[in-house]
Amino acid sequence: MWVQRLGRSMVGHAPRFCRPISARIVGKTNVEVQEQTDSQSLIFPGVWLRDNCLCEECFHGSSRSRKLDWDKFDTRVRPLQVRTDEQAQEAIVSWSDSHESRFPMKWLRERSFQEERQEKYLADFYRPPSRHWPGSQFEAIAQHFDYGQVMDNDQVLEQWLQALAVYGVALLRGAPLDEGVVRRVAERVGFIRRTTYGEEFVVQAKPGAQNFAYLSLPLPLHTDLPYYEYKPSVNILHCLVQTESPGGSNLLVDAFHVADRLRQEHPEDFERLCRVVVDWNDIGSEDGLEFHNIWRAPVICLDAQGRYTRVNHSVPQRDSHFNVPLEEVQSWYESYAKFVQLARAEAHAFKTRPGDVLTFNNIRLLHGRTGYDDTENNSRYIVGAYLDWDIIYSRLRVLKKRRNQ
Amino acid sequence: MFQADRREFPSLASQLEVHPEEQDHPRLVEVPDPTRQDMQFPDIWLRDNCLCQDCFMPQTLSRLPQLWNNLDTSVRVLRQEVDVEQQVLYIEWSDGHFSQYPYSWLRERDFSKANRERYLSDFYRPEQQLWSGRDFEQIRRVFNYQELLTDDYELQKWLHQLAVFGVALVKEAPLQMDVLRHLCNRVGFMRRTTYGDEFSVRAQPGASNYAYLAAPLPLHTDMPYFEYLPGVTLLHTLEQSASPGGVNLLTDAFYVADILRERYPEQFRVLSQTPVDWADIGRDGDLQFHNIWRAPVINLDAEGRCVRINHSIPQRDSHFSVPLEHVRPWYEAMATFVRLAQEHSCSFKTTPGDVLTFNNLRLVHGRTGYDDTDRNVRHILGAFIDWDIVYSRLRVLRQANVLPQLTHP
Repeated sequence: MWVQRLGRSMVGHAPRFCRPISARIVGKTNVEVQEQTDSQSLIFPGVWLRDNCLCEECFHGSSRSRKLDWDKFDTRVRPLQVRTDEQAQEAIVSWSDSHESRFPMKWLRERSFQEERQEKYLADFYRPPSRHWPGSQFEAIAQHFDYGQVMDNDQVLEQWLQALAVYGVALLRGAPLDEGVVRRVAERVGFIRRTTYGEEFVVQAKPGAQNFAYLSLPLPLHTDLPYYEYKPSVNILHCLVQTESPGGSNLLVDAFHVADRLRQEHPEDFERLCRVVVDWNDIGSEDGLEFHNIWRAPVICLDAQGRYTRVNHSVPQRDSHFNVPLEEVQSWYESYAKFVQLARAEAHAFKTRPGDVLTFNNIRLLHGRTGYDDTENNSRYIVGAYLDWDIIYSRLRVLKKRRNQ
Repeated sequence: MFQADRREFPSLASQLEVHPEEQDHPRLVEVPDPTRQDMQFPDIWLRDNCLCQDCFMPQTLSRLPQLWNNLDTSVRVLRQEVDVEQQVLYIEWSDGHFSQYPYSWLRERDFSKANRERYLSDFYRPEQQLWSGRDFEQIRRVFNYQELLTDDYELQKWLHQLAVFGVALVKEAPLQMDVLRHLCNRVGFMRRTTYGDEFSVRAQPGASNYAYLAAPLPLHTDMPYFEYLPGVTLLHTLEQSASPGGVNLLTDAFYVADILRERYPEQFRVLSQTPVDWADIGRDGDLQFHNIWRAPVINLDAEGRCVRINHSIPQRDSHFSVPLEHVRPWYEAMATFVRLAQEHSCSFKTTPGDVLTFNNLRLVHGRTGYDDTDRNVRHILGAFIDWDIVYSRLRVLRQANVLPQLTHP
C-alpha cells in the first residue's frame, strides 16, 4: 500500500512534525477528522470509508484497486470507535463488523467531500473545463508548440494537451516532412484511434482532374465521422505539401461557442437542435470491407446537466432517412440553417504550411477548407489520424502527477 | 397539396429571422400511392435530398454540400407531377431546380410512424430483448466457428443474436492464438485499448497463496473507466480448469435495471443520476495510464432507455465526487443492484474451443474461484469489437442476404 508507506517513511526520515489531529463520530454513521484545532474539519460517510479500507484484505496494492467482497458488504456497517495516530498522521476506525481501518490524512484530504475541493479536483485532474471562443479571438487562443519539443519534453507535451483540452485547437510547428509524423505524434500520447478508413488517412485531390476549372471543391464546415457513436475525438492533420494557389485555407469554428450564441440569441432553435434526433450515415467500402454506418443523435448533444458533450454536423453525411414526425421537419431545417449561418460567420480561416501539424477537438470544433486550384504543379498533401479523449486525458493525468511528485 | 406561396426570395438577413407562421404550417407534398396509403413529405426535406448530379454524388451515396452554403429554407414547389406508370415524382422548385424521386426511394423514407419504427428496429439497431438468468437456456444460441468464417448468413445470425440478446456462444474454434483476430476481422476490426489489441486471462501458475485459489471475479463490466467503453467482449477458452470452479457468470443488467425501475424507483433514480468515478491506474509496457470516467451505474438516453451499465468493484475510484448526503443512498441502491444482479445471473462453464461473446455495455460478467495448480490451469484470450462496427456489418449483411428477416424465438 504505497500511500501508507509514503506516510510512514516521511515520519521516519523527515524532521518530526506531527500536526495535531482529532477524529470523532458524527451523526452515528459519519466520521469527522480535523488536522489542527483552527482548520476546517472534514466529514466522511462511514459506509464510504469502510468501502475504501486500505488494508490488504480490502485493497489490492499493486493494481491499486478495491478487492472488498461486495457479495457480503453490509451497507449498515457503522463506526464504533475512532482514534488518531499523530506519529503516522492517520485516522483509525473500528467498525461494527469487527474490522479496523487506517486512513492517512493526506489520502483523506485528497478525497474530501467539500464542494470546492471536489470542483478543484475535477477541473485540475479529471478534465480541464473548456473555454469557448468566437472566431475573432482565434489568434489569441490558438497556441503554437515546437514539434521537436513536444516529442522530447514532457512539460511541452503537457502544455500542448492542456491547450487542446481547454481550447480545442493547437498547432505543432517544425515537423519533418515525412509520412510517419502523425503516428509518432499519436504514439507520444498513446495510440491511434482506428476507424472504418484505417489508422492514417491521406487528404489529396486527384491530380489533373478534368473538371471545368481544375478546382478542388471547397469543403464546407463539418465534424468527421458523426455517424459513429464513438466519434473519433481529436484530428491530427500533418501538412506535407501546401497549394500555392490562393485557396486551400483551413476553416475552424468552435461549435460550442456557436451553441452558446444560439442558446442566448435563438433559444427555440437551440432547443430544437438539442432535441431533434438526426440520422448521420456513411455507406461505402474500404479494403474490400463494406460498411453502412448510422448513428442517430441531435446536432447539439447535452449531458444531464445541460453541458455540451458533442456537436454533429456534416452535410454529405446526414442521411436522407429522417426519422422524426413530419411536423418537426420544417422547423428543424430553419433552426439548422441558422446554426450553419452562425458557424460560417464565426469561422476563422488560416493556411497551414508544410511541417505544421494541426490538432483539434472533433467532438467540439467544425472544420473545413476553401477551394483551391489543383494542378500537377500546385498540389496539396495532408496526412491525418485520430486520437481519442480517453487516451489523451489519461496521458495528461500521468504527466500532471509526475510533475507534482 | 403544398401551399403555393410565391413571395419574393428572402434576403440573407431575413433567413435568420424566425417565421412562426411558417413553422405553424409545414408545407407538405402529398404523393398518391395506388398500392398503399398516400405519402407526405416536407418540401424542404425533398429539396435537401434531391438526387440529381448537382445535389447528390452517387459514388459516395451522399449529399453534395453546395446548397447548404446559403440554404434557402423558404424554397417552394412550383409544380408537381406524378408518373404513376414509371413510379416517379417530379418537382419544379422556386429556385429554378428540377428534381425527380423514384417511388421506391420515397417509400423507404416515408414519414409515417409505422414506417419509421420499422426502419429503426429492422435496420438501424434491432430491438433488444431482456432476459433473466433463469431463462438463459431459452435465449442461448450456439454458432459454429468455421461456419461464421465462411457463411454470411451464419455471421448475420450471430451478430443479430448479439444485438438482441447481448450474448452468443461460438463453438469448435481451434485452440490457436489467432481465432479472435479472424472473428473480429470477419466483422470489421478489433477495438484497441490501453491493454493492447488482445489480452490474456490466466492466473499466475503455482501461486503460493494460502489455498492456491484464483480468486472469484465478481460480476462487472470491462473498462467502465473509458468514455468509449468497449462494445462487445470476445473470450476464447484455450484451457479450462478441471477443478469445480472457473464457472462463467452472466447477467443481463438492463433486465436488472428494469426491475429496479419497477420495484425500487427511488434506488433506480439514485443509480441513474449519481455520477461515479471509475478509474484504472497502471501501465502496460511503456505506456503509463490513469483512466477516469465519471458516469452513473445506469445510463439512460433522452427517452429513458438504458444504454450502458457501469459496474466494477475494483475499478470504482475511492474519489467519489458527489455531495456528502448523496453517498449513503447511493451505497444502499448499489447494494440492491448487486444483489439483484446475482439473483438473475446464469452460470455455465466454457470448454476449450469456445468463444463466448457478449455486449459489454449491457451484461455484467464474472467467474467463480478455481484451484489453480500446475496441472489445473485456465487460459482465456480476450478481445473487443465496438458496436459501431458490429451494427454496420449487420446492416451490410442484411441488405446483401436476400433472406427472410430474422425472427426472434
